[in-house]
Amino acid sequence: MSYTLGEYDVIVIGAGHAGCEAALASARLGKKTAIFVINMETVANMPCNPSIGGTSKGHLVREIDALGGEMAKNADKTFIQSKMLNLSKGPAVHSLRVQSDRKMYHIEMKKTLENQKNLDLYQAEVVEILLNDQKNKVIGVKTKIGALVTAKSIIVATGTYLKGKVIIGEISYESGPDGVFPANDLSQSLLDIGVELRRFKTGTPARINANIMDFSKMEVQYGDKNIVPFSFENEENEEILNKKQVNCYLTYTNEKTHEIILNNLDRSPIYSGKIHGIGPRYCPSIEDKVVRFRDKERHQLFIEPLGEKTSEMYIQGMSSSLPEEVQIQMYRTVPGLENAKLMRPAYAIEYDCIDSTNLNLSLEYKGISGLFFAGQVNGSSGYEEAAAQGLIAGINASRKIDNLEPIILDRSQAYIGVLIDDLVTKGTNEPYRMMTSRSEYRLMLRQDNADLRLTPIGYDIGLISSERYSKFLDKKNKIDLEIERIKNTSIKPSIEVNSLLKKLNSSELNTGVKLSDLLKRSELNYNNLEGIDIDRKKLPRSVVEEVEIEIKYEGYIKLQLEQINEFKKMENKKLSSDIDYETIKGLSLEARQKLNKYKPLSVGQASRISGVSPADISVLLIYLSQNKK
Amino acid sequence: MSTSTIAAIGTALSNSGISIIRISGDESLNIINKIFRTNKDIKPNNIVFGKIVNNDKVLDNVLVSYFKNPSSYTGEDVCEINCHGGVEITKQILELVLENGARIAEPGEFSKRAFLNGKMDLVQAESVIDLINSKTRTESRIAINNLEGNLSKKISILREELIELLAHIEVSIDYPEYDYEEVENDNVIKILNEKIEQLNKIINTYEQGRIIQNGINVVILGKPNVGKSSLLNKLADYEKAIVTDIPGTTRDVIEEKINIGNVVLNISDTAGIRNTEDVVEKIGVQRSIKKIDEADLIIYILSATENITDEDLKILSKIKNKKIKLITLINKMDKKEKLIFDTIMDKLKEINIENVLEVSVENNFGIENLKLKIEEIFNTSDLDFEHQFIITNSRHKDLLKKAVVLLDEAKKQIYNGQPIDIVYIQIKDASDNLGKIIGKNISSDIINKIFEKFCLGK
Repeated sequence: MSYTLGEYDVIVIGAGHAGCEAALASARLGKKTAIFVINMETVANMPCNPSIGGTSKGHLVREIDALGGEMAKNADKTFIQSKMLNLSKGPAVHSLRVQSDRKMYHIEMKKTLENQKNLDLYQAEVVEILLNDQKNKVIGVKTKIGALVTAKSIIVATGTYLKGKVIIGEISYESGPDGVFPANDLSQSLLDIGVELRRFKTGTPARINANIMDFSKMEVQYGDKNIVPFSFENEENEEILNKKQVNCYLTYTNEKTHEIILNNLDRSPIYSGKIHGIGPRYCPSIEDKVVRFRDKERHQLFIEPLGEKTSEMYIQGMSSSLPEEVQIQMYRTVPGLENAKLMRPAYAIEYDCIDSTNLNLSLEYKGISGLFFAGQVNGSSGYEEAAAQGLIAGINASRKIDNLEPIILDRSQAYIGVLIDDLVTKGTNEPYRMMTSRSEYRLMLRQDNADLRLTPIGYDIGLISSERYSKFLDKKNKIDLEIERIKNTSIKPSIEVNSLLKKLNSSELNTGVKLSDLLKRSELNYNNLEGIDIDRKKLPRSVVEEVEIEIKYEGYIKLQLEQINEFKKMENKKLSSDIDYETIKGLSLEARQKLNKYKPLSVGQASRISGVSPADISVLLIYLSQNKK
Repeated sequence: MSTSTIAAIGTALSNSGISIIRISGDESLNIINKIFRTNKDIKPNNIVFGKIVNNDKVLDNVLVSYFKNPSSYTGEDVCEINCHGGVEITKQILELVLENGARIAEPGEFSKRAFLNGKMDLVQAESVIDLINSKTRTESRIAINNLEGNLSKKISILREELIELLAHIEVSIDYPEYDYEEVENDNVIKILNEKIEQLNKIINTYEQGRIIQNGINVVILGKPNVGKSSLLNKLADYEKAIVTDIPGTTRDVIEEKINIGNVVLNISDTAGIRNTEDVVEKIGVQRSIKKIDEADLIIYILSATENITDEDLKILSKIKNKKIKLITLINKMDKKEKLIFDTIMDKLKEINIENVLEVSVENNFGIENLKLKIEEIFNTSDLDFEHQFIITNSRHKDLLKKAVVLLDEAKKQIYNGQPIDIVYIQIKDASDNLGKIIGKNISSDIINKIFEKFCLGK
């Protein structure tokens, strides 16, 4: 039995972090959008750690905001602790991270979806993707209870639900995360329409009741005094800047913990061969850590609250797939957790995902028009990585309907560009996590300048309101004027100036210099030079930060811009999609096959495909120059 | 894309032994079919006997081997004609090949194609070119060492150590709250100093490498009849290995290349020296000083039978002031006049001239000493070429130098109190430059290192 539920422009399958961004973007771009979720209580759920951001992930969140996405705003509404990481390590790697109230995060995001014009939110399991007769274009989906829904674009954002299988010790069962139903039927439909699937695995630690913990045996981890909001629009939001914060705690494993783990390794599904999926190296289970780093006497554990109205605590650093009874023994060896009872045990989860190299940079599947993929189903991991892809998929799914060119950010523009290029061009053999080390141009891709980099693009796309855009232009103007002023302000070697410099452990002046020269000294900054900068006007914190970085690191920024220019040269050497690489003499066999499969847009993209050597690139360059003639 | 078919003589052109003409490209076999007559089938990886014919006229009996792409040196279709040496015949066959559709290969073009077709890495390709151009045994051993990847290996190890440092820095950035060992500035400086020293050692071999590859530019100076031309002839005799350019090519300066021990001496403007005219007098002090500037080594000849003149002393002082390596020969020792000899020695001592050798070119006395002296001065005798590599490629040297400058800059930034992420930029750039020598991309290497070395995760 089936019936027609409705006609839509865009359908989003899954309402996790990717799905929510995708649906909001598409609806905000004026497309009639439907979003389906298996269980309404899992909209924007955080089945793993209750936090948003962190190194490079925080950058992604800022970029999502700069483009007009939702994650940053939702994080600002629901955080319970905020911290800027890496403050001592250079401006490019300052990274914002918050602890979130998991339930509130879900409630606030669900509310945003409910209130969004053009957007309908349904609880239903999508079991089939419907194609046209030629089998090369999507036309709609079918739900488990037989509802037919038509659409011009479909975004698959199924996270870890596709054929999800939870594994705890010797026990395993079909399930999505957090005890939710898995999506068992959709995998077959994807296979039927020609989508290649593979199997990845991830895991999560136990949740333990705070009331039985002894925090006196742990170190307290406080939030920052000066809160920096995620969203550029909240820079002056007093409510956020003055929010009361909760504490996290730090404790450690010990030899006893490790002994229990090593004694029970044969009961671990990974070591007994029960798990087939490929797990991420950066998210190893505690068993992995103990086995691989036997010399390490202890491993850190961060105890993080799940929210303000619950006592459940997340034990970061101790994910496991050992049997529950072993887990109990193991957690109880940890100082402060001696009386632990597991409210939810740690588990590993296996799921179907696609090979992301089958996608175009727009996130559309090669060969099936209108079928987009975003989030963990693409082989990534992390809420922020998912949201970033969701936003881009949502934008491109709706642009596709309007016959507009897709939005593709390159590696020099955004971490989002690095993320998608890595997934699509390089591919991944394990769940992919964003890292600052994946970015070649990170001095330009800072979290503080995400708006300068991307808000004009967001405005062109149509996700940034003109009100926000004019505020942005005002900020940009203030930055430019202040940089100009500082570069033109002369400081003469007066007694006043030199006594301040002496006080700040900076060498005194003999001749006059520009204020910008002083600002470049590492011991000096915008704030401590206030006394000798007479003409200074009061400027917003975000403007000051930008001015300071731009001047202080001017030389390095210039260097990086030159590198970007070099990079762009290769990106601008376009390769037409109808080149048959088999016919190009001189290419290695592997390069011919890979290039024909990937059909890279540029020589630059081709150079990042594994198996394409520098020699192959020389051949491509020769080919291009010969064809020009 | 089709590339043109190229051909060249693959062996030294001489009047003995066998010469090989190599053809590479799509047309190789077609060309052979046009000019080669045989009863057998030409099959890949086989050698067949037959005749090279030009309009039914037999030029030579030859062996032809055929290598089908991609299983050939260049990765293209390759044919090789083994003919009976002889400059004339070899050249005629080459011309015939060219008439039938090939074009003459540029220097190193076979290797370039091998590189482009992924048959060898960059260092290897460059080494093959060096090997082809090598003139002495030492030189070819270095080229072979590089070809076998000794340079690549050494650079790889160095780069690996920098990548480890980078991975350590990355971990501290990507996992700020984990209890790995912190990156200490002192430790970074220590590693940087180590790498700078090692890189400099490699860079310093370039000067030796250059000498080994390009030879020592020698200028022989002295008044008429002191024995300049005799010395030249004697040296040339000595190894019986005068290497001249292939006839038919023209160069502005005629160069005489003389193989001495491990190195080649380039004696330039030999015509001028061979003339009995007095070079010093003819071209004047100014011109000879200009010649001096171009020299790695000057051999200044005096005669034990003739008084040293003020002009001699003036030129010798100039050479000394310019810090150009100098060997002063006192020739005709067999006929020496004691008073004159003593005066010469005194005057040379006055202006602190070292490396004075007593010889008699005519009687073959002291020539061995001269040879040893040259080796000593250029430190070419004691190098263990079997195990050591020497960089001879200026691209490699430039990249290595850039890496040193960047590491030095990184050190400076640490002293200036810059944050580690800024310091990182230079260290990474330095590693990238080393990566360029061996043709590697660095980014994935760092990430692999991170997970190999550090325990991280949720």
